[in-house]
Amino acid sequence: MATEPLTEQAGLQGPAAWEQEAEREHVHGLGPWRLGLRRLRRNRVAIGFGVLFVLLVLSCLAAPLWAKHVAHTTPTENHLSDTIKLDGKTTNVVGLDGVPIGPTYQGEFFLGADPNGRDIMVRLLYGGRNSLMIGVVAALMTTILSVVLGVIAGYFRGWPDLTIRSLLDIMWSFPVLILGVALGVALALGGLQLGPITIGGDSLLIPIFIIGLVYVPYMARPVRGQVLALREKEFVEAARAQGAGPLRIMFSEVVPNLASTILVFFTLLIANAVLLESALSFLGAGVRPPNPSWGTMIDEGVDRIATAPHLTIVPGLMLVLTVLSLNVFGDGVRDALDPRAKVRLEH
Amino acid sequence: MGKLGRRALALLLAALSMSVIAACGGDDDSGDSSGTGGGGGEAKNGGSITISQTSQPDFMDPALTYTVNGIEPLWLVYTPLLTYPRTGDAEKDSLVVPGLAEDLPTISKDGKTYELTLRKGLKYSDGSPVKASDFEHAVKRVLNLESGGSAFYLGIEGAQDYIDADKCDADIKGIEADDKTGTITINLSEPDGSFSNVLAMWFVGLVPGDTPCKNLTESPPPGVGPYKVTESVPNRQFVLEKNTNFPDLGPDIPAGHVDKITTKIVKSAQRQAQDVISGELDYMQDPPPADIKPEVKAKYSDRYKEITTASTYYMFMNNRVAPFDKKEVRDAVNIGLDKPALARLFAGEVAPGCSFLPPGQPGFDEALDVDDCPWGNPNEPPDIEKARQMIKDAGVAGADVTVYGNNDDPTDKVTEAYADQLTKLGFKAKPKILDGGVYFQTIGSAKEAPQTGFANWFQDFPHPKNFFFLVDGKSIQPTNNQNFGNVDDPEITKGIAELNQEPEMTDEVAAKWGDLNKKLVERAWIAPYGHRKLATFFSERMDFDNCARFHPVYFNDYSSFCLK
Repeated sequence: MATEPLTEQAGLQGPAAWEQEAEREHVHGLGPWRLGLRRLRRNRVAIGFGVLFVLLVLSCLAAPLWAKHVAHTTPTENHLSDTIKLDGKTTNVVGLDGVPIGPTYQGEFFLGADPNGRDIMVRLLYGGRNSLMIGVVAALMTTILSVVLGVIAGYFRGWPDLTIRSLLDIMWSFPVLILGVALGVALALGGLQLGPITIGGDSLLIPIFIIGLVYVPYMARPVRGQVLALREKEFVEAARAQGAGPLRIMFSEVVPNLASTILVFFTLLIANAVLLESALSFLGAGVRPPNPSWGTMIDEGVDRIATAPHLTIVPGLMLVLTVLSLNVFGDGVRDALDPRAKVRLEH
Repeated sequence: MGKLGRRALALLLAALSMSVIAACGGDDDSGDSSGTGGGGGEAKNGGSITISQTSQPDFMDPALTYTVNGIEPLWLVYTPLLTYPRTGDAEKDSLVVPGLAEDLPTISKDGKTYELTLRKGLKYSDGSPVKASDFEHAVKRVLNLESGGSAFYLGIEGAQDYIDADKCDADIKGIEADDKTGTITINLSEPDGSFSNVLAMWFVGLVPGDTPCKNLTESPPPGVGPYKVTESVPNRQFVLEKNTNFPDLGPDIPAGHVDKITTKIVKSAQRQAQDVISGELDYMQDPPPADIKPEVKAKYSDRYKEITTASTYYMFMNNRVAPFDKKEVRDAVNIGLDKPALARLFAGEVAPGCSFLPPGQPGFDEALDVDDCPWGNPNEPPDIEKARQMIKDAGVAGADVTVYGNNDDPTDKVTEAYADQLTKLGFKAKPKILDGGVYFQTIGSAKEAPQTGFANWFQDFPHPKNFFFLVDGKSIQPTNNQNFGNVDDPEITKGIAELNQEPEMTDEVAAKWGDLNKKLVERAWIAPYGHRKLATFFSERMDFDNCARFHPVYFNDYSSFCLK
């Protein structure tokens, strides 16, 4: 994966750019964030996909309600020997020949059962929760690490920059998926020991940690580049002249000017993290059974793709919609906050 | 056949393997589960067939292979001094007969010395003569290469010294061979009632005396068998062709029918099944996947059958680790284990049961698999309430339990189902799914101390010893332990030691093995849940009626395969 570093046209950036933009749009009096929001609201496609994403999140958050009150099961409960009533007829959830029931389009087993007799609809919703939770938390972790590393490297330059840049280059040299699978397989066996904290190999924190880590170079390097430019700006010089120390300058002057970049990156990172989580889970290096995720569900469905394609298509569709909505919305946010920036993550 | 994990997968694969080539004629008699393949017609000779396996054999070297993927083809390439007939009569085919030896061994009164004589005029597939000393070399390769089968030959006097010497050409004190007379004398440290079976294992199929002590998967050595390996490309394919130097070893050890068998490695069982249906493949070693099987059974029942094998699937419970160190807990698990539910995960290819010894093994008592099972009829739903109460009474409700399993299909699903069943009994159980390639080593490590999990065993040879070493207190070791539950029942261990020394499998001896089997089950050292069925599925051009022989020890017999 190669990431195009943050590139900007020559000229002002951040709040200064917003001010200039505001002048051009004759909206004096509006702050940059309100201006951005106003622009975003005009972008109906982005808003539409944003709403779609919210709906997806809400449906996944409602998983326990569906599981408890509609499907009357949990995502991991097996129903191998159970039966249900369909059109007045008693039917095995899993037949004696091992073939699970197909979609019933009623409360229980709405999308059918998997070979263990687990309700696919319930697993789909819980799987979405896991996928989204991993995506958001991993993106948050990437963002925090990237901003810290990028700001330190860009502001101090010298040996801190050299050290961090080398570290990022090493990580960059491994394709994300290969690095993710390698870490996933290794950590799934022995778990992770961080000082006094032990994380089991089957914990969701493992894929979060892996995904949060492997994307750091792709955000930290553009952040560093932007900090290198910002540290030479007049307002930083002014702060320095007033006697502000490096920490204060970084937090009061530099980081606020990175806000739009961070926000845009964050939305794009969520999409990429969800996608990577699914890929890792599909390859057996992400979410561990019996926990569901869209990736594990696609993996489980592949074996039956000829006879029950919905097992693969439905979680795949959820994944596509989630990633698409986040990407389109993220682009919209970028255009609204900083129309001339071209922040993007490229695989 | 050794390592459980690999075997499980391989066996599965082996399931369908069979009959490819065909003979003509014969009325349809689909669903025949006798394994005889006797359709009453004549098998046609000649032609080429293409078959499939889901994964590559572990090794294409007789000294090393220990999976069905490797054993099924290689036992037809490397004939040992003793072997098993291939007649289609399951009872007859379970008895050891002379292979490359002229006769069965002469055993000394103390049961420690075996004498055999090599048949005269034997030639390897490359035309070179077979010598008596080649047997010693075959044993040396097994020991020197640290094969999974080396444990079987450690009873030969001086075997351990040979291993310690770490030289391929060092001497094994307990084997004397005279190339002039063809006599071979084997001295054992202790009597071993199953040693004739051990001599009939593929590990000691004869190879030339100059065969190097290294893994020869990519260029398998010549052997004496109906077929020879002419190509071996790992992870792609291997080819067997008729061995024109195969001698006449009698009517019970026939030559093959087809001239050439190409085995392709095809990862997707779905694709394999579709290819067999369409005729692209003539036979698949794995059973058809569950969702295709109903179609196969309905539409192609004239070329599909299932056969129960001498295998046992069970859950081990580590007696040295809480909560399974309490008998009442193990009792509860045996009572609460939903065997019919687990059988469904095998697409009906597991016959529920609770006997550790499987059908076909001396000492097997069918009643133990039905009404005499102390934990309730294994074909009926379990008494979960009773089991849950027992767990509560034992004071271990809510205890954390990690259930070990591997990612082979359907083992992963079985592991998850077992964890769910333990949760329903009152534990906080979660599955731990490991890669199939490291699973059995991992659970066989004392350091890992697994609590409970999936295990299975397919017979290497029809002798109860081959199953009971899995629960023998003397076989417990810190690494590569096959006694996963650390079963160490003094009475059972003593019984195994005594019965191992019985030179003959009389009815009385078999009954004693049966008693041990019953004690093992009643004392809940393990939780058996069934015996595996394997399947045979042919393409339309194969002669299913006359050429689908199923061997009780080696499963689908490629030498019986023929075209219509």
